[in-house]
Amino acid sequence: MPDESYRRFLDPAVVSKLATMELRARLVVEGFVTGMHRSPYKGFSVEFAEHRQYMPGDALKHIDWKVYAKTDRFYIKEYEEETNLRGYILLDASRSMEYGSEDVSKLEYSRYLSAALIYLMLKQQDSVGLMVFDEAVREFIAPRSSPTQLHTLLAALDRAEASAETDIGVVLHELARRVRRRGLIILVSDLLDDPARVLPGLKHFRHLKHEVIVFHVLDPKEAEFRFETDATFRDMETGELMTTEPFSIRGDYVDAVERWKTTLKRECAESRIDYVPVLTSTPYDRALFSYLEKRKRLG
Amino acid sequence: MNFTFLNGAFLFAALAALLPLLIHLISRRRVSTVDFSSLRFLKELERKRIRRVRLRQILLLIVRSLIILAAALALARPTLKGTLAGGGAHARTSVAIVVDDSASMTRAPGGGDLLSEARAAAREIAGLLDDGDQAFLVAAGDPARAVLGEGTFSPDVLLEAVNAMEARDVGTDYSGAVDLALGLLGASRNLNRELYVLGDLQRTGWTRPAGDSSSQGVGVPEGGTEARGSDDGPRAYLLPFDGPTANLGLSSVDVERKHGGTAGLFSVTARVSSYDRRSGEVLVKLFVDGEQAGQAGINVERGASAVARFAVTVDESEWHEGWVELPPDALDADNRCFFVIPAARLTEVLLVRPDLAQGLDDADYIERALDPTTERRKFSVSVVPMNALSHQDDDRFPVVILADVGRLDDDAERWVRRHVVDGGGVFIVLGNRTDVRFWNAGLLPEVVGVEIRAPVERPEGVRIAPALQGHPLLDGLVFGERLIDDMVVRRAFDVRAASVEEVLELPGIGPALVLSRTVAGGAASDPALPRGEVAVLMTGIDPSWNDLPRSGFIVPLMHRLVERLSRASSRPASATVGEDLVAWLGESPAGRVEVDTPGGRTLTAELRPTGAPSAAVERVAERGIYRFHAGGRTAALGAVNVDPGESDLAAANRDEIEEFLSPLPQTFIERGARLEDEVLQARYGRELWRAFLYIALALLAVEMYLARPRFG
Repeated sequence: MPDESYRRFLDPAVVSKLATMELRARLVVEGFVTGMHRSPYKGFSVEFAEHRQYMPGDALKHIDWKVYAKTDRFYIKEYEEETNLRGYILLDASRSMEYGSEDVSKLEYSRYLSAALIYLMLKQQDSVGLMVFDEAVREFIAPRSSPTQLHTLLAALDRAEASAETDIGVVLHELARRVRRRGLIILVSDLLDDPARVLPGLKHFRHLKHEVIVFHVLDPKEAEFRFETDATFRDMETGELMTTEPFSIRGDYVDAVERWKTTLKRECAESRIDYVPVLTSTPYDRALFSYLEKRKRLG
Repeated sequence: MNFTFLNGAFLFAALAALLPLLIHLISRRRVSTVDFSSLRFLKELERKRIRRVRLRQILLLIVRSLIILAAALALARPTLKGTLAGGGAHARTSVAIVVDDSASMTRAPGGGDLLSEARAAAREIAGLLDDGDQAFLVAAGDPARAVLGEGTFSPDVLLEAVNAMEARDVGTDYSGAVDLALGLLGASRNLNRELYVLGDLQRTGWTRPAGDSSSQGVGVPEGGTEARGSDDGPRAYLLPFDGPTANLGLSSVDVERKHGGTAGLFSVTARVSSYDRRSGEVLVKLFVDGEQAGQAGINVERGASAVARFAVTVDESEWHEGWVELPPDALDADNRCFFVIPAARLTEVLLVRPDLAQGLDDADYIERALDPTTERRKFSVSVVPMNALSHQDDDRFPVVILADVGRLDDDAERWVRRHVVDGGGVFIVLGNRTDVRFWNAGLLPEVVGVEIRAPVERPEGVRIAPALQGHPLLDGLVFGERLIDDMVVRRAFDVRAASVEEVLELPGIGPALVLSRTVAGGAASDPALPRGEVAVLMTGIDPSWNDLPRSGFIVPLMHRLVERLSRASSRPASATVGEDLVAWLGESPAGRVEVDTPGGRTLTAELRPTGAPSAAVERVAERGIYRFHAGGRTAALGAVNVDPGESDLAAANRDEIEEFLSPLPQTFIERGARLEDEVLQARYGRELWRAFLYIALALLAVEMYLARPRFG
């Protein structure tokens, strides 16, 4: 029976107390099957894959002159890429992400989740980059697979602070323009923006042939609205106030949130985007592993 | 149609209906502010769901306020009175039955007396009571008293109390009884309140002004006047029981000592009054010590009074009792009037003279005048200087004479004031030493009601005989003798009198002698206690002022004055049934004073702490002679008679009664009329507290429905 004592550290509240982001990420990833995964892309690495006919614009250095000598035609040599996945972690650091009804905020939770993903991908020799945004891109670190990249990214995660309102749509479009090579886009956000602005941004990535995974992070109280007494609610982004009787509107609120999530899920599915809803009350290793297992099953 | 609240005080609880609003406002202020990631979904809900929530909150607020309001109104017992309330509905009723138990109710026009008829009517009223109805019983004999002052819910208790009522030899106090009954009904919280007055409705019983209640009730609450004046006040039913009104009654019997004749000679004067009786001769009999001592036939005009005079000689050293009697007529209680002839007592007189008197002065003349011989002494005179006055025993001396003392020091002045307040007599003789400013500064204006000025001089002298003749003070004195006829007054203080009772006025001089009841406080506020009398002689007993020092007239003058001034403390006790009988004992009793009543019972008298030694029996209940014993001997006798007002048997005019009972709705129920028909048709109404309680419960159910938790 595998030793799972480490799991006690995976409780978000416990992990938040750990000293370094690296240790936190390692705890999450160690023990997980870090098996190789085939890259869906073909490049110019070591292992030969196939020949293809020369197309104008291809570099001349990739022409297989031996085949030209035999056939009098230009062919290009292609090789299988194994470890050069380019992953981008898009971390939402808007003010709404600072909300946390218990010990850990959504931003804190998202940082751990992002750290785990970074550690995981670097462990697989993939290149990983990070973008922290709110209404604009706050920090951008290009993907690399060098050993120092881990510290660079974790340090950037540590620095990530909630600061302004969300404008995911604009940010996603901007990033889509920056990222030219196809890769894996992992968005970690509460998506508290108009779906009509969020979804086009995500589809933009898909249009550019990126694989997109969305970790939709919500606090349990955001999902279930379990407030016991009347209260005045203050919007953390706009400062707007609203007084209401939570127990009376809880049902309608939950319905509205579910409708919202269903819309996101449906739209993502239609665009072949992985939509992963996560509650901050769920240990994120479980949420992450659950998703990865599911992804593995589906091939 | 009349809407009212039986427990109006609970209407204040209706203010509690504001509590939900207050709580809402307070809790609104205390609502906490919570940071939340986004109001996006709340805003979406605001347009529909939150508006519904607010509407529900307002509805809850209204419903909760209405619950409290309905509960408060239910506690206040709202009632509807009138035809719309539903005919035949019996609302709870409080009845106060006033039964006249005065002497006039002993009349028996048809065999049974009037009180028996009144009791029968009271029993009929008791038969109209239902479960939960409350009954009070008040006796209208003077003074009115509550027989069932706490009220009873048991008809049996009421019947027992009614059957136990007996006529008493007392006057009638309908006014006090009605006030008392209205006070009891005023404290009642039942919808119907009914006042029944059962009696002969004698006019003399309705004399007290409305609202002036001095009745001796048990547990009488306030509110009688309020009950009388309120719109939903009691309904009054008057059941008159008429009897014969032609009546002769003894109004009074006065006993006076006759002067100048045989020792122990007394005059007995009986006043006989006729009420609604034909004029005619009446035989009046006098009984002394149980034996007939005389009789007289007098003619009494209809509606007038006549006097029968008797003279009787008795042993002065003993107390005597007697009565005057009339022939039987409609009312027996006033046909016999008791009296007492007191035993002669040695009157202690304190004669105060100036501190530094030289030679013969006023005090010497007065002392000799009071005790001219050593035989048959009537007075014991103690002479003290003025500065010793304040050390004297006030109780010992019924009369104090200030013989030209000039002025009094502070202690002496206080002593004199206390003496008159306690009922003692004071004789002030002014003269050569009189300090006019001192006497005008307080004593004379405040105690006597006069002020004095500089003496009026009449060197030629003014004869006093013409002024004295016929004066009540000198009644029986034989004029025409030289010593009196020739006596003149040459000098007297000029007097300005504000209010005095008797004045002996001399032509050309003015008042020479002033007699006045004290106007000082203390005893004046208690009618049961005597007020001392003060006499002021404005001319000094000195040859330069008048001839009194060398005239024999000084003897009867001093004797009459001192007897008169000691009258308050020597008058035999008398009272009417229901009053306190106070007897003056002459000297302080060594032990307790016991009293033999006419009915043969022995009571212990209450010793009164103020003034001269006295003992009292409170609220005497029987007519006749009361004997006060102290130290194994008879200390005093007292006569108790029926209130003479009871002799006038005429019933009050109905207009007068209606005016007295106004604004109460009134119904006169004649003999033979069906009481039930008269009463029950007005006794309807409906209490609405139950309806309000159901409303409160229904609202509570609505509140629970509205306030239930909703999650979907």
